[in-house]
Amino acid sequence: MRNKRALAALASVALTGLLVSGCGNSDDSSGSGPVSLTVWTGFTGGDAPGYDEIVSDFNAAHPDIKVTMTKMSWDTIQQKLPSAWVTGQGPDIAAPSSDPNAIAQYVKTNSVLEITNTGTGDDKVNTDQLAAELVKEFTYNGKLYAVPANYATLSLYYNKKLVSKPPTTVAELQDQAAKLTTGGNYGLVLADNNTIQMWPILQWLSGGDIVDANNCSVVSTPAGIASLQPWVDLVKNKKISPVGLSGAEADSLFSAGKAAMEINGPWAAPSYQKAGVDFGLAAVPAGADGKPVTLGSTAPLAISAKTKHPQQAQEFLAYWTSKTAQLKFSKTTGFPPLRTDLGDDADLKADPTVSIFASQVSNARLYLPQVPNATKVDTDAYVPLIQTATRDGDVAGAAATAAKKINELTGCTQ
Amino acid sequence: MTTLLRKAPAVLGGRGRAAGYLFMAPSLLILGVFVLFPIGRSLWYSLHNWTVGAAEQPWTGLDNYTKLFGDAQFRRALANTLIITVASTAVLVVIGLGLALALQSENVVSRVIRSAFFFPTVISLTTVGMVWRFLLDPDIGLVGGVTRALGLDPVNWLQSTALALPTVIFVNVWKNAGFVMIVLVAGLKAIPGEYYEAASLDGAGRLQTLRSITLPALRPTMLFVTFMVTVQSLQLFDLVYVMTGGGPLDHTETLVTKLYRDGFVNYETGYAAATSWVLFIVVVLVSALQLRIFRYNDAD
Repeated sequence: MRNKRALAALASVALTGLLVSGCGNSDDSSGSGPVSLTVWTGFTGGDAPGYDEIVSDFNAAHPDIKVTMTKMSWDTIQQKLPSAWVTGQGPDIAAPSSDPNAIAQYVKTNSVLEITNTGTGDDKVNTDQLAAELVKEFTYNGKLYAVPANYATLSLYYNKKLVSKPPTTVAELQDQAAKLTTGGNYGLVLADNNTIQMWPILQWLSGGDIVDANNCSVVSTPAGIASLQPWVDLVKNKKISPVGLSGAEADSLFSAGKAAMEINGPWAAPSYQKAGVDFGLAAVPAGADGKPVTLGSTAPLAISAKTKHPQQAQEFLAYWTSKTAQLKFSKTTGFPPLRTDLGDDADLKADPTVSIFASQVSNARLYLPQVPNATKVDTDAYVPLIQTATRDGDVAGAAATAAKKINELTGCTQ
Repeated sequence: MTTLLRKAPAVLGGRGRAAGYLFMAPSLLILGVFVLFPIGRSLWYSLHNWTVGAAEQPWTGLDNYTKLFGDAQFRRALANTLIITVASTAVLVVIGLGLALALQSENVVSRVIRSAFFFPTVISLTTVGMVWRFLLDPDIGLVGGVTRALGLDPVNWLQSTALALPTVIFVNVWKNAGFVMIVLVAGLKAIPGEYYEAASLDGAGRLQTLRSITLPALRPTMLFVTFMVTVQSLQLFDLVYVMTGGGPLDHTETLVTKLYRDGFVNYETGYAAATSWVLFIVVVLVSALQLRIFRYNDAD
């Protein structure tokens, strides 16, 4: 009896051991066959087929490497990736966030591999053919830590049933946004949480900005306040957009035909087509100073510092950013090419969607590029500024609070 | 009984005792690895400026705790958590008791209505949050549609700084009312019928019976149910995360949504760990207060 008991107890201990060991990481690198690379991205939108194509074309052209891309929400990646990479788990390659500034955190924790496989030729990352501001955005202390997975500009989507002629100046945009807010429809939908990229554009159009060259806040300067006030008035008094929208909710209103205009990137086009909205695309109207401006958006693609296959991973990044892959990607998704040597491609110029987004590349600005704590400047200062101002209308008060917070986060000492 | 219990350890001597510990080993191992170690570790984190993956994790002593009380967002989160807890618990006990008293009889109608009220309890908080978020949407939600049909302007329940918190509390109550009711019905059924017969013979009215028989006899059940609801409300995360994300402007931020944001969005692990220890202390204090209110020691 006692032996039986002891045996049963031992068996349960062994089972626990198995259970605990099952939590460990398995390594599939041993043995022959192609090298396996795993990639995590958050490209779940209408542009997903474009990224799938890059992976399948790469696999077809590289029989010795097998890339598997897993797509999940950006939120999920942001929760899982930091600890996974620090502990040597997780994917070999990942797009850590749709926010390019997120890469700073990974550099700080030594989680990302420096990309050294640069130069000319298809098997190297051609940094000299990528937009200079993108290379600069992913370079820290003179070292490149990511490549752009895409590069989009934001354009003006308009519902053709509601808008007869899209606005070309900021005054026309404001005028139409107010006039088209009628019959349960909104003139221009603006998100104030989870991706609020239209707000910096509106500020730029009206002569304002968030930080200056020294990373000091300019939201509470007279120009900063004046650039926000007309838009806040339009939201608060003319109700051109509901308050409290997330980026996805603003998109849903446009999809449902309840919004006349929205400023958005090329990733939105496929879902609007699917929703059956008869929409047109136009460049973002010229600013108050007559100059065009829009926001450039890019997601970083980086390699784990602890990958077992750094060479193959860099080869994959080189392919992703290659001329062949990017030409095909632009045609599939409508994204402007991230390479400067595709700027004059006749096929892309003839494509109505690509051409609109591509035409604005030279006017595009990144959101808070290389600003210290940029992600927190967004969530803890800029988003609250927009939310407070559009609810109570006190732009000056909200801007003063935001300016203090921004300077605290960026380390600006005026 | 007492003798048997006293003799029990003597039976498990020598190898028998070893086997006993071996049987306990899996549970102890799991408890140690997944509960005790993380708890100790989080206290250690909270005393450092701990950032995931950083080369150095500098010791800061109690700095994280002093920083917390200077953090306006933390103070708001703490206040919101306490408001949600007190309001939810009070309303739930009143509604749950009312429903339990009204629906304690064992006929078909009562059973059907009880099932209907209990139904939200079995749905996950995330699903409840998503459904209510959709229902309350001023543009595409049912509530907004009804409001519009009545000729009124739809209310933006979850984006109004004045209404968002009461709305979250309402949904929390809606979700848990059925649970409170079922537990209290069980408690009511455990009260011996003789008490009521005696009260009736003594000429006690309904209100007097409720005050002198039902409520005192329900005390242990009440303690259990308020304890469960309080701890659940203090740890509220999923509902808020899905419905408002803590917004608008932190008006529905709770301690858990804040520590999630600090720990998993901003990667300030040490600071988030300090928040979790403050939450732990709040839970202990509130629980102690409840035990005192219900005079637990002399309840049984």
